[in-house]
Amino acid sequence: MNQLSMDKVSQRVRLYSSLFLMLFLLGACASPPPVPPNDALLAARDAIVTAEQSGARQFAGSELDEARQQLSKAEEAVSNENMELAERHAYQARVSAELAAAKTEASKAVAINREMKEGAEALTEEMRRKGEQQ
Amino acid sequence: MNHLTRNRFLLAAAISVSLALGGCAATPESPEGATEVRNKLNALKNDPDLANRTRVELRAAEQAVELAEKPLPAEQSDLGEHRVYMADRKVEIARARATALHAEAQRERLSQERDEARLAARTSEVERAREDARSARDEAEAARTSETESAATAAAERQRMAEETQRMAEEMQQEMDDLKAEVTDRGLVLTLGDVLFATGSADLQSGANSNLDKLVTFLNEHPERKVLVEGHTDNVGGEELNQRLSRQRAEAVRNYLTEKGIAAERLSAEGIGMDRPVADNSTRTGRQQNRRVEIIIGNTQSAPAAGGSR
Repeated sequence: MNQLSMDKVSQRVRLYSSLFLMLFLLGACASPPPVPPNDALLAARDAIVTAEQSGARQFAGSELDEARQQLSKAEEAVSNENMELAERHAYQARVSAELAAAKTEASKAVAINREMKEGAEALTEEMRRKGEQQ
Repeated sequence: MNHLTRNRFLLAAAISVSLALGGCAATPESPEGATEVRNKLNALKNDPDLANRTRVELRAAEQAVELAEKPLPAEQSDLGEHRVYMADRKVEIARARATALHAEAQRERLSQERDEARLAARTSEVERAREDARSARDEAEAARTSETESAATAAAERQRMAEETQRMAEEMQQEMDDLKAEVTDRGLVLTLGDVLFATGSADLQSGANSNLDKLVTFLNEHPERKVLVEGHTDNVGGEELNQRLSRQRAEAVRNYLTEKGIAAERLSAEGIGMDRPVADNSTRTGRQQNRRVEIIIGNTQSAPAAGGSR
């Protein structure tokens, strides 16, 4: 009798512990609790504003549009409570906005060089003509 | 019997565990597009103009590409897509940054070329004026010897005019030197240091006036020239404050010039804030150089362009 109840108890313990183990393992796969990725969203919005202020609308329009689209996808995912997807889109929005800003800086730098080069060439050309007139 | 149930139990547990684990990791594979991103990064690294310019951005790109290349099970293809997306953008950022730095590195050489062209232009102008003066003098001599009175006066007049041109060219240079103005593509730029103002204040200090009075003299002598006054600050104290302060300072300089009788319609003032530093804001001397008022004197009758280089 005593032997039997001991067996029963140890069976229970095994059952519970195996259930617990399975839950734990499944938990490792499950998505995080539905809290909006506020930091990522904020960083994305900041990056977009920064890009706009640097003049990305003019120099890197498609990258800026891409960033905005990713941000609205992120916001949509938040309202669907798919926070993992929202976070990914927020990251993508941010990196696109950063790319827009970087491309803007590059375009500006190249444009300045072109102007300087043209200026020097124009001056040389003008001098050459004046010299010929004499 | 007891033994048998235990064995069965162990078997069941092993199956359930392996099933649970299987959910996390199926046959792993590198995500689609990872190879392309790797190639893009390698192309950037092999570009002699662009490689070795951006250590930080390049390292970030490298890390992102490595992450994108990590094998993932088929169910997680969306995570792989995300990683490839991030890696691709980071490589592009590194390329853009390197392009900008490359352009900046080239600029020094370009500016040297432009200065040389300017110097050559000025030299040849002065040469020409001298040449004119000499030939007019020769003509005058010739006319005098032939005693053709009218030709002599005409030649003398030409000589006088040629000498005048030469004198003006030299005077102009002298005036520019007095002002310590710098010739740029935006016109003459005169930089007034931060000694003009007390910290955080937009009132002109009295010591500033001698430099400004030279400017007034210059502007009175060249009534056709228009002036843009730009205020600049360092990055201490936030964008909004600096924007406001820089505008007030630019306006203070403009008001001073109007008080001295320069027509208001020749003057415009603008606050640039901390957007266009000329030196490193992380050092004290750098910040001092960045706190300045720039006075841009238009080359022609058109107003000097706002914005411009830098």
